[in-house]
Amino acid sequence: MSSDGFRYGVSLYSYTDDYGTVLTLEDAFAQIADLGATGIEILGEAHIPGYPDPYPAWIDHWHALLAQYRLEPTSYGSWLDTRLTVSRDMTVAEAVADLIRDIKLASILGFRFVRPKIGVVSIDLRPDPVWEEAVRRVLDLAAASNIVICPEIHAPTPIRHPIVERYVEFIERTGTRNFGLLIDTGIFQDRPLPYWPGETAEMRRTFLNGIHVDPQDFLPIAKYVVFIQAKFHHINRNLEDEHIPWRAVLPVLRRANYTGYLSSEYEGSREPWRSLEQVRRQHALLRRIEAELEQIDP
Amino acid sequence: MLERTLVQTRGFRNLGPVWNRSGFELLLRLPNYRGMRASLVDGVDVSVDDVLFPHEANHLVVQGRELSLAQLRQAFDLRWTLDEPAIVRVAKAGGLSVGVHDVTVAVRIRQPYFPIEFQPSIIRETREATIVL
Repeated sequence: MSSDGFRYGVSLYSYTDDYGTVLTLEDAFAQIADLGATGIEILGEAHIPGYPDPYPAWIDHWHALLAQYRLEPTSYGSWLDTRLTVSRDMTVAEAVADLIRDIKLASILGFRFVRPKIGVVSIDLRPDPVWEEAVRRVLDLAAASNIVICPEIHAPTPIRHPIVERYVEFIERTGTRNFGLLIDTGIFQDRPLPYWPGETAEMRRTFLNGIHVDPQDFLPIAKYVVFIQAKFHHINRNLEDEHIPWRAVLPVLRRANYTGYLSSEYEGSREPWRSLEQVRRQHALLRRIEAELEQIDP
Repeated sequence: MLERTLVQTRGFRNLGPVWNRSGFELLLRLPNYRGMRASLVDGVDVSVDDVLFPHEANHLVVQGRELSLAQLRQAFDLRWTLDEPAIVRVAKAGGLSVGVHDVTVAVRIRQPYFPIEFQPSIIRETREATIVL
């Protein structure tokens, strides 16, 4: 692998339901390191015991695991739970307080990206407008903490959408280097997902059949993209992804000179331990395609 | 670590003195990939052997605090974490008989990043569970 290729990591989200039932934090580190990956992504309010106030001993444990398994912290997922209660929404001051809390905790743990998942106010998933003033107020803290705040562009929201335009406009207007876009590769899904347990045809939301974003749409926004979550659902034993067209996506990422992380986000069947095997298959597949692309166009 | 099932094997027991049971409780793993503010939980329906105990009447104990549904909906400073199961308390005069029961839970959670039209999400699970005491 050339030094300016993709970087490979795993989000602990991949191990949902395994984590805390059949998999410890150290087990997860061992799995990720064994892939030859370098990055670990977490969700703050999932993988930090005692969140948002972990014991100092746990913070020491975290740093010891990073050193032992030679992994670097990548993205830290947080939430702006704007529909705070059934009777009222979050204020700007509350959103600021939550962002400060997560940026500080992410920084203590060594992360470089904070992904706030922002509550929405419409059926087409427009984020609560509280985000803009709240983020503006914490940009200096993010800069001082060497952290980039990056909301995710996630199905059913495509790249060509007013929400993305609004984020880009914010970056241009503020000139900040501490806010960027996170792309979830689920937007490129071009075949339907199988039904989840209990899901029926009547219940199906159409975006689960794939929103088919053209990978070429990545090029115009590439300069704003700081992180990629490599969402996937099932890779078969022939190393074929049954939903995400990696052979169309990865050449575009290379053409855009994207050299950041591909951080696995497995979101398939939750049978115990299945996630471990699926993440391995994804890394084998992505590395194989990248090697082929390097041969064609070094 | 916790069991994979939402309703944990331990923690399923009667409440109140043996001669005057007032109800029962069970221990529940959060059916989500992340911990949540308690205010985002909208109660838990419980059925035992096809008798429904609706979420409006059941209490939830989160981090040691027992909350009615109305209290739960306002508890934005309290968190139900992934690694700490919550207790669901159900009022039932006489409690449950010793032995194996079919227990179904329907856990109602609100995710602010989903359109409100699709909320709450309701996660259901049924298992056999055993009352010892």
